[in-house]
Amino acid sequence: MSHQRYPSHDAVKEPHMVSLKVLRLSRPSLVAQYPLQPPPSRSTAHHRPPPIPASLAYSPDAADNGSTTSHHSSNPSPFILSPIVNLPPSFGSAYVGETFSCTLCANHDITPLVPSDGLTKTTNLLPTTPQVSKTIRDVRIEAEMKTPNSPTVTRLALHPDEQKPAADTLAPGETLQRVVNFDLKEEGNHVLAVTVSYYEATDVSGRVRTFRKLYQFICKASLVVRTKPGPLTVGSKGARRWVLEAQLENCSEDAMQLERVGLEVERGLVYRDCNSWGSTGGKPVLHPGEVEQVCFVVEEEKDGEDGGVEETDGKVVFGVLGIGWRTEMGNRGFLSTGKLGTRHVKPKVAVS
Amino acid sequence: MEQPQDSIPKGHNRTRSAVKATRPRSSTKGPLDADDAPLASPLSPQQATRMLPLGLGRPQSPGLRRSGASSPLPRSATQSPAPRRLAPRPKDFSYLLRPEIYHPLTPLNVPPPFRNSPKQPSADTPIPDLLARGQFRAAAIAATQALTGPGAPNPADHVRIFELLYTRLACLTLIDATGLAAQEVKTLEDLNSAYYVDELTGLHLVPWELRVLNVRLQAMGFGDPRRAVMSYYDLAREARVRVAEATARHDNSARELWKDRLADLGIRVAGALVEMDDLTGAAHHLASLRDREDGKLAMSKALLWLHLGDVESARRCVRTEKAGEKAERIVAALCDMADGEYEAALGKWRELREVSDDEMVGVNMGVCLLYVGKMQEGRALLEGLVDAGRSSHTLLFNLTTMYELCTERARTLKMKLSEKVAAMDESPNGWEKANADFKL
Repeated sequence: MSHQRYPSHDAVKEPHMVSLKVLRLSRPSLVAQYPLQPPPSRSTAHHRPPPIPASLAYSPDAADNGSTTSHHSSNPSPFILSPIVNLPPSFGSAYVGETFSCTLCANHDITPLVPSDGLTKTTNLLPTTPQVSKTIRDVRIEAEMKTPNSPTVTRLALHPDEQKPAADTLAPGETLQRVVNFDLKEEGNHVLAVTVSYYEATDVSGRVRTFRKLYQFICKASLVVRTKPGPLTVGSKGARRWVLEAQLENCSEDAMQLERVGLEVERGLVYRDCNSWGSTGGKPVLHPGEVEQVCFVVEEEKDGEDGGVEETDGKVVFGVLGIGWRTEMGNRGFLSTGKLGTRHVKPKVAVS
Repeated sequence: MEQPQDSIPKGHNRTRSAVKATRPRSSTKGPLDADDAPLASPLSPQQATRMLPLGLGRPQSPGLRRSGASSPLPRSATQSPAPRRLAPRPKDFSYLLRPEIYHPLTPLNVPPPFRNSPKQPSADTPIPDLLARGQFRAAAIAATQALTGPGAPNPADHVRIFELLYTRLACLTLIDATGLAAQEVKTLEDLNSAYYVDELTGLHLVPWELRVLNVRLQAMGFGDPRRAVMSYYDLAREARVRVAEATARHDNSARELWKDRLADLGIRVAGALVEMDDLTGAAHHLASLRDREDGKLAMSKALLWLHLGDVESARRCVRTEKAGEKAERIVAALCDMADGEYEAALGKWRELREVSDDEMVGVNMGVCLLYVGKMQEGRALLEGLVDAGRSSHTLLFNLTTMYELCTERARTLKMKLSEKVAAMDESPNGWEKANADFKL
C-alpha cells in the first residue's frame, strides 16, 4: 500500500507531535516450523530424543520441562504447522469480495530529549524550546475510502467506537488505535484517506492541528464467474425448466475453498442444486487458475396461483448467483452476480 | 534437473580420485525400475511397497540376508570362502572436506548487541557447548572449520564427517540460512547411491538425522519439491524393513525407534505437501495416518484445515478425534480468529492463559488484542513474555510489528529489544538472533 502525506492543512511547518501508522489486518497466519533432531550421538540410544528446541516455532510450556513428547504440549511437532500466529507481514493483495480491514494508530510520539545512541538528529528536536511541555488531547481519527467507480467517498466507521471522552489527553508514548472495515466490491484503485486532528496545548496557549495521509492500493478480481443458461425439457407438471451452468475461475494468487454457491431465485421459480459437495463436505478447493463448474436446474413453480414466472420481452430472469469462499486462515470472500436470465424462452405450454 | 556431477569442480583433482571412480551417477530410478541397492532387496517386489501409506502397517517379512544386522565383523568375514570380495577399501569422503563447498557466514545480519556481546563464544568452544548455548551461527562456522581446517577428520572417518556435516546444515536452517544449506547439501549427491552403503553390513553410512534433513534441503536445492515426497517414501521403505528386522530378533527398543522414525516420516510427507501448496493432498495424507494417541495428529489436521480456510472441518476434527481438552480449546480460539471473531477468541486465549504458561497462548492473545483495538495491552503482554525469558522468532516479529505501529521512531524500540534479548542467558532455544527478527 503506497502512501503519501497530504499537504498539511496548517501553515505551521513544525513537525507534528502525533504520528499515524497503519497496518492492514488480514488474517494472522500459522507459523511454519521445521523440527530437527539433535546431532547424531555416538551412544546408540534406542529412542528418539526430543527435537532441538530452537527448531520449533515456540518454546514449549514450562511445565513440560522442554519435553515435546509430552501429552500436554500444544505443539504438534514434527508437523510443519504450529498453532502460534504471526501478524500479517505485508499488505498482500486485495481482492473483490473480501473485507478490507486496517488498523489506524495515532501516536503521541515521544521526542527523545536525551539521544539514546548519539545518532538522533537534532532536527527532530524543537530548536528553541526542547523542554517545553505540550499536552495532546482531543485526538480524532477520520477515515474515508475512495473507490474507482463512485464519485463520492465513503466514510468508514471506526472500531471500537469513540468511547474516549473528548477532552482525554494522549500521554507521550500513548496510542489511539482504531480499526476500520470496508467491503471491497470494485476492481481498481482504492484510496484510504485518514485525517488526524488533535489539540496541542502548552501552558499558555493551544491550537488545533490536522494532517491527512492517503494510502493507495489496487483491488483485483479473485473470482471470475461465467454463466450459461439453457433450456430443458418441460418438467412433470408441465413446468418450464432451464439449466444454469456456471464456471468459477480462481484468478487470485491464493488457493480458495468454495464454501457455498447458491441461487437466489425470483418469485415463481424454484431451483435444484446439482452440486453434490454442497452438503456432504469435501468442498472444492481452487488453486490459482483452476475452474470449478457448477450447475443448477431452475423450474417454474406450478403450484402457485399466479402460475409461473413473470416474463418481460420474452426474457425470464432467474435471479442472482451468490458465491462464498474462504482463503488462508479462514479469510472470507463473497460476491453475487448481476441478475441472470435467458432469452431462449420456450412458449408456455398450453395446459389442456 | 541439474546434473549433480556438475557441482563437483573437476579442475584440481589430479589424484586418481576414488570418489569419482567408485561413486555411481545419481540414480534416476522410476517406481518400476529394479532397485539394486542392497538395503532394498529384502522387499520384493519393490513396487508394491513403494507407495504404501506411511502408517505403521503390518511389518514386512524380515530381511533374509542380515538376520543380525549389527553383528557382522570383518574378522568373521575373512573366514568365509570368498575373502577377496570382502575386504573393501575404506570409502573416501574427502569431497565433503573441500572448503569451497561451504559458504562464509557474515556477522553483518546479527544485531550489534549480539555481535558485540561478551557472550560471544571464543573460537575454541566445543561444538556441543555452542549448541547447548543456542549459538548456532558459531556452531555452523565451527563445524565447517572442523571439516576443512587443520584438524580435519580422516577422509574415511564417515562417522565424524557426517556428524559435523549434519551440525553444519542443521545450524544453517536454524539461523535462517536454509538457502545456503540447500546449496551445500548438493555435495552429498544421491544418498540412495550404493557408495553410501557399508559393503559388509549393508547398513547406511549416513546417520538417519542427516538423511532426513537431506530430503528437504535437496528438494529445495534442486528446486524440485516433489522429490521430497518421493525421498521420504524411500526412507520409509527402509524404516519398515528395520522394524521388521528388529521384530524378528525381538529387539523391542530398536523396533520402537524405527516405528517412531516411520511415524515421523509420515508427518514429514504431509509437511512436504504443505510446502508444495498441495493442501488437499496433505489433508488426505494426514487422514491416512494412524493416530498415536498423543493428540498431535488431530491438532495437525485441525491446523491444516485452518490453513486451508476450512474452519468447520478444523472444529470437527478436534471434536471427533481425541485431541485432548487443551488442544480443543486452542483450536476453538484459532477458529474464532479465522472467523474474524477476535473478541471471542480473545476471551478464550485469556482463559487459557490463566491455566497455561505456554508461549503460544501469550503470543496469540497479544495478536488478538491488536485486532480488537487494544494494541497497548497486547504490546505490554508481549513485552512481559520477553521479560519472562521467551524469545521465539514469532514473539519478536509480532512485538516489533507493534513497535512499528506505535511510533515513528520504532528503530529505537527495536534496538532496545535486541539489547534485552542479547542480555538473556544462552540456552538451546537459541540465543543469537538476526536483524530480521527485529525487522532491523
